[in-house]
Amino acid sequence: MLCASKALRCALRELPGGGARRAGTGRVGGGQSESVRDVQFSIRDYFTFASTFENGNVQLWDIRRPDRCERMFTAHNGPVFCCDWHPEDRGWLATGGRDKMVKVWDMTTHRAKEVHCVQTIASVARVKWRPECRHHLATCSMMVDHNIYVWDVRRPFVPAAMFEEHRDVTTGIAWRHPHDPSFLLSGSKDSTLCQHLFRDASQPVERANPEGLCYGLFGDLAFAAKESLVATESGRKPYTGDRRHPIFFKRKLDPAEPFSGLASSALSVFEMEPGSSSMSWFVDTAERYALAGRPLAELCDHNAKVARDLGRNQVAQTWTMLRIIYCSPGLVPTTNLNHSVGKGSSCGLPLMNSFNLKDMAPGLGSETRLDRSKGDARSDTVLLDSSATLITNEDNEETEGSDVPADYLLGDVEGEDDELYLLDPEHAHSEEPEYVLPQEAFPLRHEIVDTPPGPEHLQDKADSPHVSGNEADAASLVPVDSSFSLISVSHALYDSRLPPDFFSALVCDMLRFYAEQGDVQMAVSVLIVLGERVRKDIDEQTQEHWYTSYIDLLQRFCLWNVSNQVVKLSTSRAISCLNQASTTLHVNCSHCKRPMSSRGWVCDRCHHCASMCAVCHHVVKGLFVWCQGCSHGGHLQHIMKWLEGSSHCPAGCGHLCEYS
Amino acid sequence: MFVARSIAADHKDLIHDVSFDFHGRRMATCSSDQSVKVWDKSESGDWHCTASWKTHSGSVWRVTWAHPEFGQVLASCSFDRTAAVWEEIVGESNDKLRGQSHWVKRTTLVDSRTSVTDVKFAPKHMGLMLATCSADGIVRIYEAPDVMNLSQWSLQHEISCKLSCSCISWNPSSSRAHSPMIAVGSDDSSPNAMAKVQIFEYNENTRKYAKAETLLTVTDPVHDIAFAPNLGRSFHILAIATKDVRIFTLKPVRKELTSSGGPTKFEIHIVAQFDNHNSQVWRVSWNITGTVLASSGDDGCVRLWKANYMDNWKCTGILKGNGSPVNGSSQQGNSNPSLGSNIPNLQNSLNGSSAGRYFFPPLDSPRAGSRWSSYAQLLPPPPPPPPPLIEHSCDADTASLQYPHPRRRSLSRPLNPLPENEGV
Repeated sequence: MLCASKALRCALRELPGGGARRAGTGRVGGGQSESVRDVQFSIRDYFTFASTFENGNVQLWDIRRPDRCERMFTAHNGPVFCCDWHPEDRGWLATGGRDKMVKVWDMTTHRAKEVHCVQTIASVARVKWRPECRHHLATCSMMVDHNIYVWDVRRPFVPAAMFEEHRDVTTGIAWRHPHDPSFLLSGSKDSTLCQHLFRDASQPVERANPEGLCYGLFGDLAFAAKESLVATESGRKPYTGDRRHPIFFKRKLDPAEPFSGLASSALSVFEMEPGSSSMSWFVDTAERYALAGRPLAELCDHNAKVARDLGRNQVAQTWTMLRIIYCSPGLVPTTNLNHSVGKGSSCGLPLMNSFNLKDMAPGLGSETRLDRSKGDARSDTVLLDSSATLITNEDNEETEGSDVPADYLLGDVEGEDDELYLLDPEHAHSEEPEYVLPQEAFPLRHEIVDTPPGPEHLQDKADSPHVSGNEADAASLVPVDSSFSLISVSHALYDSRLPPDFFSALVCDMLRFYAEQGDVQMAVSVLIVLGERVRKDIDEQTQEHWYTSYIDLLQRFCLWNVSNQVVKLSTSRAISCLNQASTTLHVNCSHCKRPMSSRGWVCDRCHHCASMCAVCHHVVKGLFVWCQGCSHGGHLQHIMKWLEGSSHCPAGCGHLCEYS
Repeated sequence: MFVARSIAADHKDLIHDVSFDFHGRRMATCSSDQSVKVWDKSESGDWHCTASWKTHSGSVWRVTWAHPEFGQVLASCSFDRTAAVWEEIVGESNDKLRGQSHWVKRTTLVDSRTSVTDVKFAPKHMGLMLATCSADGIVRIYEAPDVMNLSQWSLQHEISCKLSCSCISWNPSSSRAHSPMIAVGSDDSSPNAMAKVQIFEYNENTRKYAKAETLLTVTDPVHDIAFAPNLGRSFHILAIATKDVRIFTLKPVRKELTSSGGPTKFEIHIVAQFDNHNSQVWRVSWNITGTVLASSGDDGCVRLWKANYMDNWKCTGILKGNGSPVNGSSQQGNSNPSLGSNIPNLQNSLNGSSAGRYFFPPLDSPRAGSRWSSYAQLLPPPPPPPPPLIEHSCDADTASLQYPHPRRRSLSRPLNPLPENEGV
């Protein structure tokens, strides 16, 4: 029997033959200055034992030579609480310490060699090799962690099994029989003694997620998976079979199971082929859209063109629609809106239909409006006339000459190719078929043929004494002639001056539709371009939501300028204050390197101008860039050029400036 | 379409999570080997490991990036019962280790008594907040009151879920109409058929998180859960990885109709359910606009799901995990229907309408010495029930791809034999 004390020495008593007779007492080790935490006889080597110390050392003794140890090495950082000799492998010693590690040493070599190192989550109080399982050992901790873990030393990061029964600190563990690997006994401070059946252990490995997956910004996918899962079919087959029957799998962990080797993962990134990045349309669109600074019609046309260039025909179509709705020459002044609503409803029908079918989920209630418009159709001729005069005024303001409106209204019949930025009907006519998808066009046609209001209305107009025959022909006869193509109908009708307000509900629905589809860019862009025209119909909270979402997206793509423009153009107060927060720059004087006060660019202390360009020595007006390390800077262009050739500061201060 | 770029990750055990940062230029991986690695994308598109350090004393389950407004900040959670917050310190430019960044542990969150299974930063507009969930069924929400001081986190909420939690997801909506919401999934495998997904919502009045919904139909262990990026939608989309992939929509019922003060009521619809992985689904991830869902399962494949204009979800691509060609003998296609879907009608109609819509990209042989290792398979989606014809065409296509295993080549040359950089 071997015992050791916390005192300065190891004591050795020997009870040979298992008798009660006290044969002799020997003492080994003298002058040990550290207390001993554990002693263990080597299982195979009769005379050898190991002792572990508080200072992290492990000593190997031969009882025949009690005066000094055979070998000593530092095993752990901090106290070594326990050690255990391998039951079969005579050279292997496992030690556990406060540094949360279990180390397996090969003692047969001249110097003790660390063969395995297991990292546990708490300090290791006990370590016991599992019988019949060469690479398994059980550990428990003396604080915090109440669980018992069984580790495979070849897979040192994940416990092979875990017993979670104890509610308090486990104080001791032992395998029940030296040749039975399935029973483990444990005692705990929760006043229980447990016999664990290895089969019941929970296996953290099995619950661990073998795969990682993440969608990148540009549509690239990072995917990490256990190699056995992604390996070739032959190697994988049996494995997946097991997976489908978790019960089998659970039992698989028997001692005879051959070790499958260290699990590892294959990491790969699936990237979109250069140029086909799934989000490049977003970036391009964001950069190229014009949101303000030009007349509405131009903005719409520009944006439609951008969308078409990028192959987004539906979006392009929407922009064209918006342009037709809001920028037709018959733009009724807002003062007159309430008068013309009735008329508008009748005229708007075909256009609305086409709009619906193209851009919205079907069934947005065009039916009900259709009915209404039939009734209204007859009563609006007077209004038509009055609005016509109003249009004249309106057009006067928008275009050059006072006689333009008349020309314009006749324009489509005469085939004049006006370069007015207002929609040229001929143009619309020739353009439209390009991006009307055929399968969408068919139902439209039927829709129009089936609904009488269009022709009916035209009839009325022709009868009306208030409208000059010429104008009426121009407006009404074209669609009849051109076999009811969608375009000619709508174009004939916009001539009859639709009130844009009538559409605002539809436009709002359209914006919502885009937002629900994940294209918040469209929603926000239209919102900005149309401005007041639709803003009042969408509640503030939704608008704000769209803005924040879009700005967030723009910032993800580092489109700072666009994002700032959007912030600037937004009318929502919560949004527009975004770029007014934290606008303070903290600058050091480039001369005396002390913080500048708020007095402009002249330093208070050294009275030098701080905004001198370090390259050309002129005062910088405009974009000024400076190094945050040495405070020197200058014209953006100069500094960029300078740093291409040199990594040192152009002011000669020796600082290695970083330009990023 | 997709090009697989295989990266020698050099993790010594399983990789459990991969995460891109806000701008998509950095990537973090975490592994059972207790380390986290950070990868930066170079100009040429290669990924370089710029940091690798030991983060925990147990398997690291998840790693996640904070919004860059708060700095370069990572959070990790581990089997060792802790979660940690890390911040990158960029060395002075005359540092000799230029390019090697340094990650400093800012805090360790030690409240859990069991393995911390997931960690997620809250959406930016909520400030610097962090949610963790642990195997003992408690979701904890921490807040850093001072965003400049990452070492101070206060535990704001503890939500008990009664079930061992495996994953959480914040609702990313920035709308004021949507109060903060968090979905929690459980991988509790005990036989009792309890609902495994719970949704908690913050109540302004009580200042507490209260259970808003339980997805009763999800009774199998849930491994991952993800809200789609909201982007101005009025409703929420939630993807769940359990024994199959499921997509739910949650439409808030208008406030006026519900009694004020109580949790928001939702109209919950399951819009898609796919068991094409034939096995456990481990991960789901949304693209940036919330229109494409990627899922990965035990079959080692990544599948992409997308909705058409009728809101019918269908498979738009299959990517083989290691970038190698799908083997000719692949049974994935036809073993699928035999397993049977829970909603066969939907499944069939989807497959029927989508088959043949996607094609192989033209395949040219990989350029020698290039790191573009191979073309991942963008297969036509699994064919509808009697599939022999399409199945055949797949075989023919893949047969032409039998060039030497590409990954081997790139693996033989370790990408970045960097020294382990212990994070302080």
